[in-house]
Amino acid sequence: MASSSEGLGLGFGSEDVDPSIAMTTDVELLKRAWRNEKAAPEILQFQHELVQRSREQVQLMTITVQMQLNIFTAFDLAVKTFCGGMMFKEETVEDFEQNGADPLTVSVYQMDLDRMQFLLRSYLRIRLQKIVKYAIHISKSEAWSRLSEQEQKFAKRCMDDMEKHLNQSVLSRLPYGYQSILKQSISSEEDDMVPQPHLDTYVFCKSRTPLGALQIADGEDPMDVLADFLYLFHYKSIRSFVESGQVDLF
Amino acid sequence: MYGRRASQLLKELSTCEPGQLTSFNTDVFDQVLKECNAHHLELQSLMRKIQEEELDVQTTKNAEHFGAVIHHLSLMRNKRCLMAYMYNRAQIIQSLRWKLGPVLPQEIQEKLNFSEEEYFKNYSAALESYASELELDLTVDMVPPKDPYIKVRVLDDIGDVLLSDQSPNLARHSIHFLKRTDAEQFISQGLMEELLG
Repeated sequence: MASSSEGLGLGFGSEDVDPSIAMTTDVELLKRAWRNEKAAPEILQFQHELVQRSREQVQLMTITVQMQLNIFTAFDLAVKTFCGGMMFKEETVEDFEQNGADPLTVSVYQMDLDRMQFLLRSYLRIRLQKIVKYAIHISKSEAWSRLSEQEQKFAKRCMDDMEKHLNQSVLSRLPYGYQSILKQSISSEEDDMVPQPHLDTYVFCKSRTPLGALQIADGEDPMDVLADFLYLFHYKSIRSFVESGQVDLF
Repeated sequence: MYGRRASQLLKELSTCEPGQLTSFNTDVFDQVLKECNAHHLELQSLMRKIQEEELDVQTTKNAEHFGAVIHHLSLMRNKRCLMAYMYNRAQIIQSLRWKLGPVLPQEIQEKLNFSEEEYFKNYSAALESYASELELDLTVDMVPPKDPYIKVRVLDDIGDVLLSDQSPNLARHSIHFLKRTDAEQFISQGLMEELLG
């Protein structure tokens, strides 16, 4: 997968491909989106087009693998029938080889397909987990626009379900003034019961371009951030660079 | 001591194996709720007293005032503990949906209270409707695939089945080398186990 520079292809001969192009294939883009999503404490922008393209690619690959397999089964059947009658036809073997369906190729295709599907599913799964965890916070912040349409529906349902669950088991049985799901009590000035992502958690990251001197923490000297060096920073200090795609998380 | 029972609930959560559920502790849970209401009564009577004496709430810090504050804070703490208990259990329930599928085994079902059972069903339905909108089953492929084929042991008599590339006889205790995608459905139904290493 790492070198599947032709997207669909098996990626042999990727040495000839310019690395800057190899970095922008959908597979690489999806991997990057997946890694960022996995490492970031908050939910990131949903990659609509990338997910759409990846899904189309998965469909195409599934069809390819299926076709190869059909050739197999056809071949298998042919061998069985012909061997039964002691009439083994050599053309069948030739046909088979011309179609290029040898077991190795198919299994490599299958592998490529499996990995792609894993990436895609895992990407969507990580997002769902974050959505469930921080649904209320997301719905009240600008992060809401980062969700896909389906994710927004899912988030709404999750919020309603959780609210109903907590309401009927705890909140409705508490005295008046303490029944809010958002506030500890009626005298709290702001929402102090809503789980929020910890933005000051540390993340490993690499920059694609030199960022120059960066103020990483309050009261510390600015740090010169170079390209392709691995750093360990507070997430919030590089948050804007992750959003703009200049910094990748690991 | 105020708030001790509530912290018992949370201790129970933190001492049990991560990802495992203990039976819902209705007993202690209800006691804590009762404690909350008792705090509230005390709080109200103290507040009345303060009002009756017509003292300025902002400036006088008498015994009633501090008593009220203690009851108020204890109540809030109890609320936080109860919410944390429910919320953390709900998170485990969510992870069970991913691991075990839409139907919980009887022995786990018994550990949930009625609201939690309902929550599990609702969460499961929300997940399913998301998956069907995307036309993508998200509960498969939970670990990164290493090889298209895996070694499995059959746990129950399944018999002859037609798989995408072979039609093996899946007798109990037999070991097969199957396509991961074929084997996954059997593994999730508990009919097979993957042999690792």
